[in-house]
Formats: sequence, C-alpha cells, structure tokens
Amino acid sequence: MSSPIIHFDHATFGFPGVVALEDISLEIQSGEFVGVIGPNGSGKTTLCRAVLGLMAPMKGHLKIFDCACDELRCHHRARIGYLPQKGVVDRNFPVTVLETVMMGRYGTLGLFARPSGKDHKIALDALAHVGMEGHRDDALGHLSGGQQQRVFIARALAQQPDVLLLDEPTTGLDITTQHNVIELVQHLHEELGLTVLLITHDINMIRSRVDRLVLLKTRLYAAGPPADVLKPEILSQVYGKDLVITEKDLVIVEDYHHHH
Amino acid sequence: MLDLLTYDFMQRSLLAAAMVGGLCSVIGVFVVLRGLAFMGAGTAHAAFAGVALGYLIGWPPLLMAILFGLATVWITGWVEEKGRMKLDVSIGILYTATMALAILFIGLMKTYNAEIYGYLFGNVLAVTSEELGIIAGLSIVVIGAIVLFSKELYFIAFDQEMAEASGVPARRIFFLLLTLIALTVVISLKTVGAILVFAMILIPASTAYQLTHSLSTLTWYSVLIGITCSVGGVLISSYWDIPSGPAIVLLATVLFFVAVIFSPKRQRQSLAAT
Repeated sequence: MSSPIIHFDHATFGFPGVVALEDISLEIQSGEFVGVIGPNGSGKTTLCRAVLGLMAPMKGHLKIFDCACDELRCHHRARIGYLPQKGVVDRNFPVTVLETVMMGRYGTLGLFARPSGKDHKIALDALAHVGMEGHRDDALGHLSGGQQQRVFIARALAQQPDVLLLDEPTTGLDITTQHNVIELVQHLHEELGLTVLLITHDINMIRSRVDRLVLLKTRLYAAGPPADVLKPEILSQVYGKDLVITEKDLVIVEDYHHHH
Repeated sequence: MLDLLTYDFMQRSLLAAAMVGGLCSVIGVFVVLRGLAFMGAGTAHAAFAGVALGYLIGWPPLLMAILFGLATVWITGWVEEKGRMKLDVSIGILYTATMALAILFIGLMKTYNAEIYGYLFGNVLAVTSEELGIIAGLSIVVIGAIVLFSKELYFIAFDQEMAEASGVPARRIFFLLLTLIALTVVISLKTVGAILVFAMILIPASTAYQLTHSLSTLTWYSVLIGITCSVGGVLISSYWDIPSGPAIVLLATVLFFVAVIFSPKRQRQSLAAT
C-alpha cells in the first residue's frame, strides 16, 4: 500500500489546559471514504482543523501529504477541499453563486494571479457536478439550505482537491435533502476518486456508504469497517446510556440535541 | 454655479473630493462586509491624536497620523486574532484613549491652533496643491494594493477562516486590509475630517449593499455613489456657503435612505412575508 495521505501519529491537540483530542493514531489512504463519528464535544471539529493545518499537535505528529502539519503551506491547504459546518449565511450577503464557487480557485491560484477563462470553466464544471449550473447568477442568500450546501461543495471542488473534508454537511437540512447531499458526496467520491473525510453525528446515513468509520470521544475509540465499529459494546463506551439499538440494527443516539 | 469651476481652489477641491470619495467607498466595501465599521471610526480618532501630537512637537502631522492610525489598527487586529478580548471592547478603549490623548496634546499647546480643527471637521475647499499631491500618491498606493489583492480581500471579507483553510494567506491579507483602512482614514482627514471620515467609508458601501447581490457590482456602485456624493457635496457647500464635510456626509446619508426605501432586497423580503 502507498504511503497514507493523512497520518496521525500519537497526536494530541488542544489549547494550554484543554485537551480536545488525545493520542490519536490514524492513517487515511488516498481514495478512501472515511466517516468520523462521535458525540458533541468529542473533538470532531478539532480533527478537521488539524487536517486543514490550522492547528499543530501539542504532542505527537501529524503529516498531511508528507508535510508536517505546522509547516503546511498555503498551496498544500489548497489541495484539501473543505466544507465548514453550516453557519448562518447572511441572507443579504451580496455574493452570487458563481462568485462563491470562484473563491475556491483563489487559494490554488496564489497571490497576484488573476482568474482566467480556465478558472471560470473549472468553477462552472464544479457547479455542474453538484447540479447547480442553472443557478450561477442567483444570490447565494436566496437559495435553500440544501442548495447552499451544494454550492459550498462546488466551491471545495473548484479547488480541484485531493481530499474532500466535510464538517457535518447535513446539519440543519430536512431528511430528503440530507440524503441528497450524502448521495452527492458518495457520487463525487466514486466519480472523481476523491479521498473523503466526512464528519457527522448521523451514523445511519453514512454507515452503508463509507469504507471506514472512525469513532472519537477525545480519544480514538475505534477505526475500521462500519460493521466492526458499530457494535453495541464499542458504541456504549462512547455514547453511554444515550444509545439505543433497534431491532433493525439502526443506531439511535437519544437526546442528541439536548446536549447542545 | 459654473463660473465657480474656473477657480483653481475649486478645481483642486473637486479633484480631492473625487479621489477621497472614490477611495473611501472602495475600502468601505471590505469594511462593511468584514464588519469592521467601528474599527474605522476608532482609527479616525487615533489619527487625529497623531495630528495633534505632530503640531505639538513640530513633526509632520500627516506622518504622525499614519503612525497613530497604523498602531491602532494593528493592535486591535492582533487582539481580535488572539481572541483575548471582544473587538468592540478593545476598539472602544483605544478610541477613547486616543481621543483623550488628542485633547491632552491640544491642551498642552501654548497657542490656539486653528489648523488642527481643520483636521477634526475637514475643509476640502482649503486643500493645497501639495496636499492634493499627497492625496493622489497615497490613493494610488491604496487602490493599487486593493486591485492587486482584490480576490483575497473579497474572500476574507466573506469568510476568513474558509479563506485560510483553502490556501489563502488570510492573516496577512487581514492585516493588509487594516493597514489600507488606516491609510485611507489619514488621506481623508483634511477633506472630511476625523469625525466624518468614517461616514464616507461606511455610507457609500452600505448604500450599494442595498442595491445588489453581486460582489463586483457592489464595488462599482459603491465607488459611483462615493464620488457622486463627494463632488456633489463640494458643489453644494460652495454654492450655498456651508461647511463641506457635513454637506458631503448628509448628501450620502440622504442617498442611503433613498436606497433603503427602494432596495430590491427589501421589496423581495416584504413580498416573501405576505
């Protein structure tokens, strides 16, 4: 097997006095579809920031594309297409769909370079990949939540990344839209051969689609094929009494939203 | 009114007003989108303290204004980045502290100095050829930097963390933006004054914001509105013999409210609500 694209080696992350992730060892290979699950406050978003090179380990090592995390330069970051947790998009923020997607080209282009016709075409292709090409001149704020997520995924694709990193892409969407967004991600993984790191609390939505699941709660509790990770004895260590496993093997984490 | 245009001082003032109006309205787009309005207001008062110190110790007032302005934006930017203090608190403290310094410096002067009040309230009709040259030079520097880094500036205005994550050197661009804000404030001090300069940065961009959903269109509208208000304000002030700073700012304010009333965004919202 080739060398991993992302390699955590006994890495600990946090701020002085606060440990968000402790002693993580994990390798992610090129072309893998990995789901990251865990309760709120388990360090999922910290993992995201670490992979983006925005946070260096306090202990241990993290290598991304053979580059130590704290040396991760801008052109390396551009190789990771990132969909941040859905913030509230200002309804009136004056930006069109195409302008939003073009921003995905800016990091890759580097300083001083002007976007060319080629960048324009890449952005339009990215919009076509997410089925939003008909909305290019619409105001971002006028789209539905699901459409906005598609546009942000297109922005990540416009970077022509090697890795797609998605932080809770389905939060705040209705159930049909959640399925559509996850299906789109799976489709992009298969069609473009992207390495996908998908962070979610919705275990059932992704269990049949990912190659591996990573279960976090500050420490790494399990990593492997979904069938090996989603065992009552493992899950209950992390979710405790909030966990209910139904007859059809659906995992239900009770009272999830009460922990906000 | 037309014969006014034949005077040298009038031509100089109109040119200065057009440059300052255009410059303020371009930087204003990023200030409004990045939510830095209060920081600009604080910078203007810090720059005024610099002017007062300059007169007190006999150094070039504009140079001192640049130093004070830059120190203020860099300190507040650094504080924001570290997340040690809420931005409005740190600016609020620097804002009032620098204003206190300005009053102190003026109080320490042995004689009454009318020129200082020109920087406080602005008087575009008194702009000299030399000052016009300084305005032109600094405007070229600021506009040049904005054009050169426009895509990065737009990206950090939209979402700084996202920009950093996708490979834009977002921190450096943020400090560049702060530097450009400070320079713009200093350039505009003599024409609109420390108290009103921020209106010139804020109002044209906010007016344009009411009218469009596109970043590039927003910028052009803002510049158009900024130059129109500045030039229009100068003409009004000389024709009716009223102070130029208030004429420019009040004209811009009227335009802002007209834009709010006729904003397509607002009409869309009220349609959606019915």
